[in-house]
Amino acid sequence: MSEDKQQVSRRQFLNYTLTGVGGFMAAGMLAPMLRMAIDPVLQSTSSEGEFVNVGLAVEDITTTPQRVDWQIEQVDGWYQSKPGRSAWVYKDDNGNIIALSPVCTHLGCVVSWEGNDSHPNEFFCPCHDGRYTKDGVNIPGTPPLAPLATYEQKVENGILYLGKAISRKGA
Amino acid sequence: MQWIKKDMELYVGSKEYIDTAIIPILPFQMSQEGNLSKSTSKREILSIFATEIENELSGRLLLIPNYYYLEYGDKVEEMERLNKWTKEIQAQPFKHVFVLTFDSGWKRYEKDMSANLLWLPGFQAENPNSDELRQMIRGQVSDVVELIRSYW
Ligand code: FES
Repeated sequence: MSEDKQQVSRRQFLNYTLTGVGGFMAAGMLAPMLRMAIDPVLQSTSSEGEFVNVGLAVEDITTTPQRVDWQIEQVDGWYQSKPGRSAWVYKDDNGNIIALSPVCTHLGCVVSWEGNDSHPNEFFCPCHDGRYTKDGVNIPGTPPLAPLATYEQKVENGILYLGKAISRKGA
Repeated sequence: MQWIKKDMELYVGSKEYIDTAIIPILPFQMSQEGNLSKSTSKREILSIFATEIENELSGRLLLIPNYYYLEYGDKVEEMERLNKWTKEIQAQPFKHVFVLTFDSGWKRYEKDMSANLLWLPGFQAENPNSDELRQMIRGQVSDVVELIRSYW
């Protein structure tokens, strides 16, 4: 009997404690949100914006787009992941390096260079037949409404570094 | 697309463009300690695989949350449940539903499965994040992507 009583009070005690923990967690979640709202300067810059060596020497870049893949270290809250990034890289007729994001501006599939035999010299999206010219501009009449994004880039010691992908306005 | 808020909002707005779904199915077991590392590394690699496929075709393909089954359990029972998942997905509608697995045990049940079975020979890896493995996965992913495209 007395044991029974003790059980109940123990349970109650645990219940109270849990409510307490819940409140504490809510406060814990609110605090960073408040901080972000109040002080945008505190927002950490993710490594997404940094320049990454994509493992391609400038001399190996030709006028034919080639695909490069790399990983970035991304910490999103407590979750750390290594999302893949890719680009189509080539030199244009003036010898300038062009690095295009392969992410189709329609719904986000990965486009490929000359991915369809009936459309040579274009980027092709396999999902809904989206097409882009070599400079990444969407071809009207196909689903995408904007050109492919271009990567920020720099060259150091003959090696290509890519940064953020910058989206462009629709054609 | 993935089963996350941001993607599903996009999905609801562009349903007519998304007609393909993939269910990664993963074995779970704890009774055979000797096989634990095999079971877990399979799971990690299949998840990387599924994410990579999703990444390539995200505008037309929805990656369904992982389906877990008991590795040494009753496959017939599991298949019935899996078929219910498939039915739920097909009703949205999705024209093509694929089940992705490394477990060749499912081959025997393929004909009773309402989804298309995508069985891949699994591989062992010490570290699922190694570059070497990434390369290997990338190669296989493009094959699978080709295969999926052949259904379109
Ligand atoms: S996602 Fe590229 S055309 Fe639709």
